[in-house]
Amino acid sequence: MLAVIAERHLTLELGTLDICFLVALYVRGEAAGLTSFTEAQLEDVFAQASAAVAPETDQLRRRATLAIQRLRDQRLLARVDGQGVVRTGEFALSRLAGGIVQFYLEEDVLTRETLGLLTHSLQVALAGVLEAARRAIGPAAWQDGVVGPLRVTIAELVAGIERRQRGLDVQQEDFQAEIRRLLEADWFGAIDRCQDLLESTSATLRELNEVLLRDTSVLLALLQDIEELAVAAGEAEAESAAHRLMDQVDRIAAWGSARQRAWSEYFQYVHRYLRDVVRLDPTRALMQRLRDQLAGAAGRRFALAYAGAPPIRLLRTVAALPDRPPVVRPRAPREREPEADAGEDPQVALDAKVWRSLGGGAAALSVVTGEVTGELPAPERFVEAGRVAQTVARLARAASAIERPWVAVGDDLEIEDWALAARPGGAAAPADTASAEPPPGPKP
Amino acid sequence: MTRPGYAQLQDVILDPDFPELDLALRRGRHVDRDDVAWYALLGDAQDHLEAFYRRYGCELVHKTDGYFYLLPTGDKLSRRQLAIGDMLVGQALALLYLHPSTIERGGLHTTEELIAQLATVMGSDALIRAFNPKRRRYDERVAQKTVRSRVGESVRRLASLGFVEMMEADQLRLRPALLRFAEPVRGLSEPAEALARLVAQGEIALEDEGAVPADAAADDDDGDGEREPAGSDDGDALPDDDRGDGDAP
Repeated sequence: MLAVIAERHLTLELGTLDICFLVALYVRGEAAGLTSFTEAQLEDVFAQASAAVAPETDQLRRRATLAIQRLRDQRLLARVDGQGVVRTGEFALSRLAGGIVQFYLEEDVLTRETLGLLTHSLQVALAGVLEAARRAIGPAAWQDGVVGPLRVTIAELVAGIERRQRGLDVQQEDFQAEIRRLLEADWFGAIDRCQDLLESTSATLRELNEVLLRDTSVLLALLQDIEELAVAAGEAEAESAAHRLMDQVDRIAAWGSARQRAWSEYFQYVHRYLRDVVRLDPTRALMQRLRDQLAGAAGRRFALAYAGAPPIRLLRTVAALPDRPPVVRPRAPREREPEADAGEDPQVALDAKVWRSLGGGAAALSVVTGEVTGELPAPERFVEAGRVAQTVARLARAASAIERPWVAVGDDLEIEDWALAARPGGAAAPADTASAEPPPGPKP
Repeated sequence: MTRPGYAQLQDVILDPDFPELDLALRRGRHVDRDDVAWYALLGDAQDHLEAFYRRYGCELVHKTDGYFYLLPTGDKLSRRQLAIGDMLVGQALALLYLHPSTIERGGLHTTEELIAQLATVMGSDALIRAFNPKRRRYDERVAQKTVRSRVGESVRRLASLGFVEMMEADQLRLRPALLRFAEPVRGLSEPAEALARLVAQGEIALEDEGAVPADAAADDDDGDGEREPAGSDDGDALPDDDRGDGDAP
């Protein structure tokens, strides 16, 4: 829809004189029962409007022609006789023009009477819709008896209440501006008139809120029943229409209480102002004296005094932090002199193990390897097996055939086996194995 | 008048609202009818609290315009004075409070309207000079920006003291305590006479005759715009006791 409006480049430009011209045409039509105006009547009405808005305007006929053309261009005035150039035309106000005039002339305002009438009509209409919903069988019956009335009749009535609420809002704003105007025009003398305005608006809002509180609950109950029937019948469209109306009714009820609360605050504020400012300064001299004071024209400058106690300091329990040692340079040298360390020679330890194994009667390399590497983890056994073979070759005499047999040592190692015999003249046993028995063969 | 609800001072002190109210009053807060609970408490326990605060060298002042505040008259509780900039802003706000246009808006005005009011009454040049006191020559745009900034700071300080309430969208709700700024010109007496009376009561302090019309906030090291009481040439001027050593009860 917005794209269509943008595409058509729709605009509306009306000056005060144009609006007055439209209003004057509308009023003339209503008063004389006219449905259309001749060109002469249009010019006559324009002259009247022009006299009211811009009395010193000259070239009235030319201006009237331009104004009529402006209104026709904007589709506010339409020629209705269809005679073209044959004779002077007849013109009528369009629906758009009627809407604009009604906005300015007939702003609907919610009153106790109109609200009571509207809510009563709503109750009657909703009761009828509820009855139709109870009797409805099939989608067509729901559409005709429930959805249609909810969307048109009921929605129109609810919209009527909302429109009048907006009218009342506008009226309240006018009252606030009116109170200001009254005070500016007649400072002390306006007090009574201001209080009357306040009282009348307060009473109106109170009455409206009472009606809303009483009637909206009934309306909501009826709509709730319709919605439940729609849900039971699986009529989503009716359910949605009822739900939308319930939201609107809720909004209407909320409007009442919100406006009454806001007006109540405003009421108190204005009363305080009238009492503290207007009554205590009937000649309105205070403002001028204060203005002089601010401008520096009245007496010396001064400063207000006030109590200025610092915030109370609340002491809290703090855990005592340990004293940290001061940061100092180390006195001892960072680098230590290297020291001789005898340590343990791994080859000596291995020699002792091999010697112990040979002394225990081991006659094959596989036996010695199994005994020496049996406790080592698997990854180290392979490396250690090589060292064992080298040690055995040094400490004992190995005898092997050309084709040495492969013998398994544990689950994960296999070696070419040697037969072992004591080395003639043999090597001396390592120091830590001196007590162990020497290997078989000739002893040293 | 004390109502039956507070037969003794102890009953007042035991009221759950009292601690917050007491702290607010000691920090210079003005309490009016919009502070519903505090105002009711002060109204109901006025006699007890007047005697209570008198022991701390303070007067609990209740104005007929509908607000309370604490005014130190001795040296037991710290006493401060508004800066010159705050005073200018406060007086402009008081003017807005008195203007009938306030009625139409239910007591709401914007900061822009406040600055416009200051410029209208003081004149743009005087306003800029007042908020840029140390600059002999200034760039107009920068000076105007400084004015807007200083006015904003003053408004915030006045809001913390209960003179205005800061609302959404740069709106200010004007509160009855603003009428304190109009006190010297409210009565029928001459302004000088009224000023002397207010000085004697400890309500105000006079600026030095030769003082530069400067915003103290501009020179304020801590930026809070509050000042030590100015020296007065009157013998009966303020007890200069802003030593910041006010004790809590």
